Amino acid sequence: MNDSTTHLTEEERQTLADGTIAADREAAARAHLLVCAECADDVARLEQLTMRARHLEDPTSDLAELWPGIRSRIENAKLVTLAPDSPARRWRRPRPMLMTAGLIAVLVLAVWLGARTRSAPDRAPSAQGGGTGDTSRSVVFVSDSVRAYEEEAKILLDRLELTRSGLEPGAAAAIDKDLAVIDSAIAELQTAIARDPRNPALQQLLATSYREKVEVLKRVSNAG
Amino acid sequence: MQRAVAGTGQSAEGDDLVRRAQQGDVGAFEALYRNHAPAAYAVCRRMLGNDDEARELLQDVFVRAWERLPSFRGESSLGTWLHRLAVNVVLERLRSSKRETARRADVSADAVGHSPESDVDARMDLDAALGTLAPGARQVFVLHDVYGYSHDEIASLAGIAPATARVQLWRARRALMRILER
Repeated sequence: MNDSTTHLTEEERQTLADGTIAADREAAARAHLLVCAECADDVARLEQLTMRARHLEDPTSDLAELWPGIRSRIENAKLVTLAPDSPARRWRRPRPMLMTAGLIAVLVLAVWLGARTRSAPDRAPSAQGGGTGDTSRSVVFVSDSVRAYEEEAKILLDRLELTRSGLEPGAAAAIDKDLAVIDSAIAELQTAIARDPRNPALQQLLATSYREKVEVLKRVSNAG
Repeated sequence: MQRAVAGTGQSAEGDDLVRRAQQGDVGAFEALYRNHAPAAYAVCRRMLGNDDEARELLQDVFVRAWERLPSFRGESSLGTWLHRLAVNVVLERLRSSKRETARRADVSADAVGHSPESDVDARMDLDAALGTLAPGARQVFVLHDVYGYSHDEIASLAGIAPATARVQLWRARRALMRILER
């Protein structure tokens, strides 16, 4: 709080000048300006400066002459993009259609194998005990790899989001499309596993799909 | 409340240029450069206080804009997007500059830099006076008083505390008043 005998603080002067003073302090500060020439003069000079800054004309320069340099850098970047086989930093797109077809074929096979496994006890009861134990162990093992791949994919996806803005034109869309194909296969497998949770072939296939996803993301990460 | 950035109004023609540039049309991008370079240059020039560096960084801004244009979704105008890009490019440059580290130490004592340009004549205009400020004080003054950023926005962009931004601003204003009123 200020009265006529105490000068305004630096904060009060500065915030009065740029209009950001707290509402509960403004009235007292303005009242002080009416009786204190020194503070009033200082605030007026600060106001003048902030007004000048707000209405500052843009500096001028001949910017047209910079365009050829920019164009050349852009064109060079495009040449690098189009150059064949330019190495490790290149994003290489996998073949999602083939991959999907393969996944679907294995999915069908796995479901068929799963159906056979379930009907096997009727035909060969003596083999059931040992077989079930092996299956359980392999299901647990594969589930662990699925979890590991899932974790790795999450980390790589986060990294992709951070570097997305620096990807070549069109590359981000291509990556998203490829990831969507793999995610769709993963979703189908998860549905199948929900119906047949002890089917090792489905678990194996799920792990393979996650590995594919991790490999795609690693390629993007290395290309970035 | 930020000051309007020159070239922010986007016409259908502007949208078309952006779309074509996003598809790799360098001619369309050149037209966008012609429209938006002056405002982006002004940001660089004021924040750096040096014409040569500003012109060099302006090229970086537009090369980066070309690279990132595919991710521009039109949620803000292209002018605003470029303005923010220019601010980030300048701040990155200043952060990575060793000279900046040395100068920041000066700011704690005085907002005025110690370059030969400090010996300015009494009729110096505000833009020229800005060039004599230490970089930290200059950035905060330009972002707050010229472009209308809040202290919180400046703090987040420059990686400093809002209270530091506030104090830098006040020191910058005092330094500018001393220079301009000489």
